[in-house]
Amino acid sequence: MADLHLDNVSKSFGTLEVIRNVCLDVAHGEFIVFVGPSGCGKSTLLRLITGLESVTGGRIFIGGVDVTQVRPSDRRVAMVFQSYALFPHLTVAENIGFGLRLAKRPAAVIRQRVDAVARTLRIKDLLDRKPGQLSGGQRQRVAIGRSIIRSPEVFLFDEPLSNLDAALRVLMRLEITRLHNRLQATMIFVTHDQTEAMTLADRIYVFNQGRIEQSGTPMDLYNSPSNRFVAGFIGSPAMNFLPGKVEQTGDHMMLKIGSTRLRLDQSFTSVSHREISVGIRPEHLRVVESSAGHVRAEVEIIEELGAEVIAYLQIEGISDPITIRLPPQRHVVPGQQVGVRFASEHFHLFGSNGTRLC
Amino acid sequence: MERSALYWRVVLLAAPVTVFAVLVIWPLFSSFFYSFTNWNGFNPEYDFVGLENFAKIGSDRLFIGAIINTTIWMVAAILLPTLLGLALALLLDSKVPGGPIFKTLFYLPICLSAVVVGQIWIWIYQADWGLLNTVIRAVSGSSFNYAWLAKPDTSLGSVIVAWSWQQTGLSMVIFLAGLTSIPNDLLEVCEIEGASTWQRIRIVLIPLLTPATVVVVALSVINSLKGFDILYIMTGGGPFHSSDTLAMHMYNESFKKYLMGYGSAISVVLFLIALTIIRIYFRNLKKVDEIYG
Ligand SMILES: Nc1ncnc2c1ncn2[C@@H]1O[C@H](COP(=O)(O)OP(=O)(O)OP(=O)(O)O)[C@@H](O)[C@H]1O
Ligand SMILES: [Mg+2]
Repeated sequence: MADLHLDNVSKSFGTLEVIRNVCLDVAHGEFIVFVGPSGCGKSTLLRLITGLESVTGGRIFIGGVDVTQVRPSDRRVAMVFQSYALFPHLTVAENIGFGLRLAKRPAAVIRQRVDAVARTLRIKDLLDRKPGQLSGGQRQRVAIGRSIIRSPEVFLFDEPLSNLDAALRVLMRLEITRLHNRLQATMIFVTHDQTEAMTLADRIYVFNQGRIEQSGTPMDLYNSPSNRFVAGFIGSPAMNFLPGKVEQTGDHMMLKIGSTRLRLDQSFTSVSHREISVGIRPEHLRVVESSAGHVRAEVEIIEELGAEVIAYLQIEGISDPITIRLPPQRHVVPGQQVGVRFASEHFHLFGSNGTRLC
Repeated sequence: MERSALYWRVVLLAAPVTVFAVLVIWPLFSSFFYSFTNWNGFNPEYDFVGLENFAKIGSDRLFIGAIINTTIWMVAAILLPTLLGLALALLLDSKVPGGPIFKTLFYLPICLSAVVVGQIWIWIYQADWGLLNTVIRAVSGSSFNYAWLAKPDTSLGSVIVAWSWQQTGLSMVIFLAGLTSIPNDLLEVCEIEGASTWQRIRIVLIPLLTPATVVVVALSVINSLKGFDILYIMTGGGPFHSSDTLAMHMYNESFKKYLMGYGSAISVVLFLIALTIIRIYFRNLKKVDEIYG
């Protein structure tokens, strides 16, 4: 039914190219998350899908119909804004029923539908209030209510939770999952939050400078990022990148990181670049006695998070600090000299241009 | 340091307070005072007459006429520029070609003094060679030479048109500013939800323009209460008192008939009316603040 298909979509503002030849396929009922650095064009892409902006190239299909030239209101899409975009002079009930009122549906029908939506979102006691009298989370529910009442085919959420505090974000995240399970509608969700992206998405699209860098299930992106950008973007704390050199020693390849040499596995032997970037996630590093590690390092900063400890270490001969995720019982203190062991089976090797090497 | 701050506060406030006291408070109280006398405006001798002046107001046929005219004047002088200004602002906001030029043109009259505006419109209304009649003659082919300002039926209305012509630009500019301050995403919601132009104006824009409307109406109320000069220039309250407002009537009684005591009594009544309007206004302001503040 309501699958979404973008065919080579581009958008320029004057000479500024914001979206570059984006092709994207979303199946009906899929939950898609867009991530990417600020200014990479996520909001613009959502606005192209709603029709608030018109494309400068390419075509958009919703449910198999070419809607590139169709007005926003006829595309059967709903958008939830980061700012909630509620009308301050209308009550919650009027805000939720806004679309039905515009469509001149009978008052009784509107009331009944608004009631049903309000029950779903558990805001029934708020119906007579004005948005100014609501908390952030309540406003967000109202905004979602307004979007679901017309049962659109595609829901677009532009960072809907980023104005909420941490506890509320978790609650609303669950709420949105529940909503998706019940409506089985196609949803596209923009976020900067790693946890939201990983937990909500059926598939994630990673954007950079108006292009899709990679798409796939959260675990796909996590386990096999196709380039250095995606590797660094997915995962929190972010993946460490260490400068490495590949050297031929006898009949096998050695990887030199700082002052240590590691033998490369069979699978890595295709490496033909000499200067490479070695990616390794914070959880794939171990802190050991200073003599027992692959490299020596000095503990610089410790962040105790309760369930885990994040340590920032300075490796001898490498300028950027590395991040390590430790179990809480592992006691290290700033200034301590330690050794670091790499789990080399978890290495991600990238060439100097950022592409994955194996 | 604390002391010198206080010193400067007193010094800097003294000037405006003095001006306000001399030009507003003192005349206000002297009006109250003279309204109980039979002073003629220049004779140093006068008697206290108690409430006689106020009693006279009740039986003053011209006063009743002036009240009616003032009501017409105020309602029209508030409604017309507000509605016209709103309509122009909505039109210009929808990106019609030449918008900036029209904005400037519509705003220009507000830069003219009421005397100049009055004179321009006297010429427009002039019976034999005025612009209005010339156009009517050209369109209808008849020898139309109606004296707009000299006929009791049209004198007040004609001044109201001239007044609105001048004031519309001001409300238009305020409404335009109000329109730009409406968050863009609210307008985008209208677009996604499929609001027609009229629905958008009625359900969204006009309510969201409430803060701007409050300002426009406040200025219109104040300006129309003060709107004496343009009437004075264009009709002087005539013919046959057909465009007499309270302010005009008070002026005639005080300075033409030299009944300063009676004129003061009228001014006291006018003052109380203004006070009431302003109080009603401020009471409603609070409600607006609660939603939009
Ligand atoms: N109407 C516009 N006119 C000109 N440039 C625009 C316009 N809208 C967006 N841009 C530019 O397009 C680029 C992408 O903007 P967009 O809002 O889509 O980024 P984003 O990925 O949503 O960023 P963020 O994560 O900060 O919300 C930015 O460089 C922005 O300056
Ligand atoms: Mg954005």
